[in-house]
Amino acid sequence: MLKPKTMSRLLIVASKDRMEAVISELYRFNLFHIEEFVEGAREEYQGFKIGSPLPGAGEVSGELVKLRSIISGTSEELFSETQLKVRASDIRGTLSSRLPGIEHTIETLLTERTKLENLIKDYEQKIEALKPFVPIEIPLELLRDYENVSVIAGQLGREMVLTVPNESEFIKEKQGGFLVTAVPKSRAAEVERTLLDAAFQEVPVPVENGTAAIRTQYYETEKNKAAEHLETVKKDLDSAIKENANYLVACEELLTTDVEKAEAPLRFISSERMFIAEGWVPSQQTHDIISSLNRATAEHIYIQEIPVDLEHDSVPVEYNNPNFAKPTELFMDVYSRPNYTEIDPTLLVSIVFPIFFGMIIGDIAYGLIFLIMSLVLRKYLKGESGALLLKTLRNASISSIFFGILFSEFLGFECPWNPLIFSRHLGIGGGEGGGGNAFLWLLGTLIPQNVYTIHAATQSAASGGGANIQGLMVLTIWIGLFHITLGRVLGIINHAKQDHGSHRIKAVFANLGWLFVMWGILIAILSKFVIPYMPDISTLPVVAAGLNIATIIGGVLVVLGIIFIARDSVLEIIELPTIISHVLSYARLMAVGLSSVAIAMVTNYLAIGLMIAPQLKTITPFGILVIIGGIFVFLIGHVMNVALGLIGGGLHSIRLHYVEFFTKFYKGGGKKYNPFGMKRRFTED
Amino acid sequence: MADVSTAATLTIDMIHAQQAGLKAIGAGLAVGLTGVGTGVAEMGIGAAAVGAIAENKDFFGLGLLFTVIPETIVIFGLVISLLLMFS
Repeated sequence: MLKPKTMSRLLIVASKDRMEAVISELYRFNLFHIEEFVEGAREEYQGFKIGSPLPGAGEVSGELVKLRSIISGTSEELFSETQLKVRASDIRGTLSSRLPGIEHTIETLLTERTKLENLIKDYEQKIEALKPFVPIEIPLELLRDYENVSVIAGQLGREMVLTVPNESEFIKEKQGGFLVTAVPKSRAAEVERTLLDAAFQEVPVPVENGTAAIRTQYYETEKNKAAEHLETVKKDLDSAIKENANYLVACEELLTTDVEKAEAPLRFISSERMFIAEGWVPSQQTHDIISSLNRATAEHIYIQEIPVDLEHDSVPVEYNNPNFAKPTELFMDVYSRPNYTEIDPTLLVSIVFPIFFGMIIGDIAYGLIFLIMSLVLRKYLKGESGALLLKTLRNASISSIFFGILFSEFLGFECPWNPLIFSRHLGIGGGEGGGGNAFLWLLGTLIPQNVYTIHAATQSAASGGGANIQGLMVLTIWIGLFHITLGRVLGIINHAKQDHGSHRIKAVFANLGWLFVMWGILIAILSKFVIPYMPDISTLPVVAAGLNIATIIGGVLVVLGIIFIARDSVLEIIELPTIISHVLSYARLMAVGLSSVAIAMVTNYLAIGLMIAPQLKTITPFGILVIIGGIFVFLIGHVMNVALGLIGGGLHSIRLHYVEFFTKFYKGGGKKYNPFGMKRRFTED
Repeated sequence: MADVSTAATLTIDMIHAQQAGLKAIGAGLAVGLTGVGTGVAEMGIGAAAVGAIAENKDFFGLGLLFTVIPETIVIFGLVISLLLMFS
């Protein structure tokens, strides 16, 4: 927790005839992150070379490339349907007997399909080229190959009379028309110039024999024939793939593992008779791997755990989080994976992100909609990151429902209880049938004397339906102050852990300095002004020059903080205003949330207050239409608000982490832990 | 006398209404102008970020981060307008 998995560095040395056994064993474990060997990069390996692939690697990878080209040529949806795992040993025997036949069949069909598709495209192009000539009844061969006559054809903006002797045909279209004209070759250039002035676009005469209409018909029939043929080919292809989909993906997986294994020596260090593999494994599993390698090679192997040098080694980073924090790793990777030596804030983000999201949405109904979305979309959204995103949405939606109960909100309506914390009811379209109370009013009309009307009456008398904007704002500022303080404290811990010597002390004090300035400014402000929901220290005894003790403490903190910051880096002083802007930035938790409440209330007011409620008093046929319109407005408004809430709530919550929180302590840039091996989906041993 | 007092109350009502109207205009200006400001600021960053993401997908997180930094401006506008309108 708050720290990536501890890694151990292993050095494996064995003779080359044990290489295959070692590679198979490491591949099976899927834990060994190979440290790639670069020739000549390190002094201690002077004279060593990169290993060469295992025998047969070339053929296997050739086979794999062929298979993949077939799989990528077909629609991938067919393959995702396969679920059953097949035994690897069963397939291996058929690789040379069954696979080539299937490959041949599918390959032929694929070539046939491409050929037909090209043919159809070709015909379509020809038909398109013939199109303008269809109304002209002259055979096309008569429009070319003259010694003294030029035939010019093309689109013309308007009909015009040529001054040159000519034989023309003009077919009128909606705008302008199509002109075919035969003129003496000696004056063709002159004609073209005249025509160009009238926005003439030349169209080449198709090289065909017979009239355009007949040729078009011919190509149409040919095209239809080809299309029919294509359909049967496609059907054959589909059935061929469906029949063998399971087998093909299993083969692909088997060959991939073979290729990866065969090419592993390319990442090893090797001499004439032996090889060295360096890499990382999670410390917890080190013992298992060592003992199993010893067993596989009958103890003909030397394995050593090398001490980790945190300064120079780039240790691969694997998250180490409890299950509920795992989905948040996605957000971390989007920003940057944590460094091995720094604090991994995934757990903190996984707790605070849903709280921020919930505060912004803060509506029971919207929370329920998000919850249903996250559960239903799981069936349609494939892929690992999609699943993680939906889990995050699920957590966030539960938090939204919780805050909805606290804010007493349901689709922007008030629930039948007073808000448990600050009210967000803006009272848009208040009064009878208005936004906030419309729902209660409606219930009141339908069921007279029920609890809701009574509640509504007491409600408006008690609170006046007013939102406590100031309270909310101060609350968000408190959240900002504590979130940033937490970030700075983590920054102090990181610097204390990572840095050395005088820089370490300076960096720690600089972080402390930022905290001093922030809290100093707050104390100084509070000593002069009274702000609701913040301690009142303006009445403390005055010490000197009309300043009370808190002002002086605040001032001292600010000055001390600036000195600490400047000792680390003077340039940082320009960043001082960000202290205020970062804290105030948390006000978005209130502002974005209230804008969503406002949209909901306006929607309710438009739909119920203005359209539905007045019509319910006296029902007329026209009124029913208006009511249906009102329902429509209601649905559209809330759907839009849900979409906006999802984007706004998610983006602003994560942004507060990325910009305001992470910049205080987080560096990232860790190397991803990518173990040698594969999660097998289609085959098993 | 009665006429004078009616006139006086009317004027006070009108002043109140005018004040409310000016408040609403101020709130609108706060959101609108800061929105324009944010838009102008995000214009360059967004274009550059999309370019960078096209080159290297890993830049997505950082690109998003840079793009939403000026968002704070419009949030301040929104806060001011909410305070003006509702408190």
